[in-house]
Amino acid sequence: MSGETPPSTRDEPSEIDLTAERDESGVEEAEMEARVGLSYTLSQLRRDPTALAGLAIISVTTTVAIVATIDAWVLDYWFAQNFWYHPLRGPHAETRLPPYGVSNTFFDASQTTMAHPLGTDNRGRDVAVRLFYGTRIAITVGFLSTTIGMVGGTLTGAVAGYYGGWIDDVLMRTAEMLYAIPFLILVIVIVSVLDPQRQNALSVAMIGVGIASMPTFARLIRSRVFSVREEEYVEAAEAAGVKDRWIILRHVIPNSFAPVLVQATLQIGVAILIIAGLSFLGFGAQPPQPSWGQMLSKARGLMIPNPWFSIFPGICILLTVVGFNLLGDGLRDAADPRIQNK
Amino acid sequence: MGLLRYTVRRLLQAIPVMIGIVTITFFLSNAVPGDPVDVMLGPSPAQRQEAAIRAKFGLDKPLWLRYINYLGDVSPIWLSTVDSFPYVAPEYGIDFGRSINYGTPVSRKIKERLPVTLLLMGSAFTFALVTAVPLGVISAHRRNQPTDHVSRIVALIGVSTPSFWIGLQLIIIFAFELSLLPSNSLVMPWNLPPPAAEAGLLSVEFWGIVAAHQVTVVKHLILPTITLGTLQMAAITRIERSAMLEQLSQEYVRLARAYGVSDSKILRKHAFRPAQLPVITIVGLNLTTAFGGAVLTETVFEINGMGRLILQGVLTIDYPLIMGTTVVFGVMFVIGVILTDISYAYIDPRVSYGDQEA
Repeated sequence: MSGETPPSTRDEPSEIDLTAERDESGVEEAEMEARVGLSYTLSQLRRDPTALAGLAIISVTTTVAIVATIDAWVLDYWFAQNFWYHPLRGPHAETRLPPYGVSNTFFDASQTTMAHPLGTDNRGRDVAVRLFYGTRIAITVGFLSTTIGMVGGTLTGAVAGYYGGWIDDVLMRTAEMLYAIPFLILVIVIVSVLDPQRQNALSVAMIGVGIASMPTFARLIRSRVFSVREEEYVEAAEAAGVKDRWIILRHVIPNSFAPVLVQATLQIGVAILIIAGLSFLGFGAQPPQPSWGQMLSKARGLMIPNPWFSIFPGICILLTVVGFNLLGDGLRDAADPRIQNK
Repeated sequence: MGLLRYTVRRLLQAIPVMIGIVTITFFLSNAVPGDPVDVMLGPSPAQRQEAAIRAKFGLDKPLWLRYINYLGDVSPIWLSTVDSFPYVAPEYGIDFGRSINYGTPVSRKIKERLPVTLLLMGSAFTFALVTAVPLGVISAHRRNQPTDHVSRIVALIGVSTPSFWIGLQLIIIFAFELSLLPSNSLVMPWNLPPPAAEAGLLSVEFWGIVAAHQVTVVKHLILPTITLGTLQMAAITRIERSAMLEQLSQEYVRLARAYGVSDSKILRKHAFRPAQLPVITIVGLNLTTAFGGAVLTETVFEINGMGRLILQGVLTIDYPLIMGTTVVFGVMFVIGVILTDISYAYIDPRVSYGDQEA
């Protein structure tokens, strides 16, 4: 539906138009073309403090996620047992203990302890430890679902854009129809179709979000393919008898990669938000999985006596997504020399 | 080629998309495992009763026939041969079938719930536009000054925060700690309290009641509006800012500056209008995220709107309800996109109404 307005006047905000007139920064057109590659984008990124801040946040969260994974799989919860209590099996402390230094109706500040810096939940589990393991879920789910959407969408869009004709029509109309059904509702229906017992709801939700994000990537890459297809090297490859499949994989996709990278970075943030929302509604992570969204869902029932249950998981989601948005914005500015927002 | 013809053409183009939406929804919701009749009747139903209920909901027919029937039922106009074979009989009206869980027609449920969601979304988008457009313009105007930094940080946090979390925090602060605003359900502006019916239409008391009622309506709306609108507000601010910056770097602005036109006049008279095009696009495309946001917002604030209706449908394996609500959401999105395109054509005189494709 949405892609049908005259292309001459509509400007996709994230689209990079190579053929457009550059402003007069004294740079030759050819040099400009050379600049738009991936390596140029990355080199530009180093001069952008906010993007680097985003990269720092992502590095920290990813490291935490990796440490949590190693701890759970290899060290058998060594970290959790030595620093804080085990999130699932450890010795239970007082339930609903407030964060360190905070008092409420049931506890005064002297009863709080640094062993539970963020307090304990309604089952005596340490909130900080649960947040620590929640990072693993958020990061894994964000990266994997985006990979699914990126690979599927890129291939679909590249095929549609390269061949055109009825293949293009069928693929893009299907993408538009998928796009017209609200993302969250589509994934909810997919989860209830594929996993009615909610045994693997998180994985299904992850795949669902990946599928639902495919149209975005497909449309992005398709619009880029139209310009790349006219390039001389593609014509040369066609003339030399190179197979279509190979042209798409070897020339078309790599030359459209910068905007896809930007979109993917932003999409990871979006995916984390959506999966948190799904877990909140009960269609993602299931208890006792320590996912941030699922923690918020539990916190909703206890927000009057224990407001901190709902504060910390939200802040974790917020910080992580800010990281991906900062990096994504930085990448977009770096990839497009015309926009000098900084 | 006029606006009217363009509108008609866009509406015609929407028909295959709508059929596609109905198709996807139908097969997706019919793939939901579990048999609604089993759920309804319990473990060991009497066979005759089961057959009767299957027949009542049309579940005794094969899938393809149910699909054709459903397509005919939801289309406003349909030439039916299925029931009146060999004659062709026209059917009018939209029929989403009967909800298995509620036992009432789905359309009645939707009629009940849709205004609630529309009120919520309308007020959220109004809030978003009213705050975001000035914020974006000021941010572009005062580029790299403190105002700009503040507005960019607000927008960044807005797009990165889960809306339901904002809702929870608002409830904690404004409903529980400060006891200022109610935290659950919405009140419809036209559902006046009973005393209103007794007072005459021209009496002072009547209008007093109406005014007091509207205050209640607004009080109930504030928190859900902020919850649902923040994401849209942040997204629109970002787009507005970059669109304004792009316009301000255009040559006609430089020319106007050279002629000594004041900055505020350039903003209001020249740069503002063309900068609204990407904003309109984003509003149209963001309708789907807002529908998703409505599901979450309605859950957090316990508002009985379309979002909670669809959740109940999924949880109780209520095919007609899932299909009906999803189709309505899809149609609303399609209408939203068409409105976007039309207002686009209205604002930008260069839009050629897509003649080159025809």
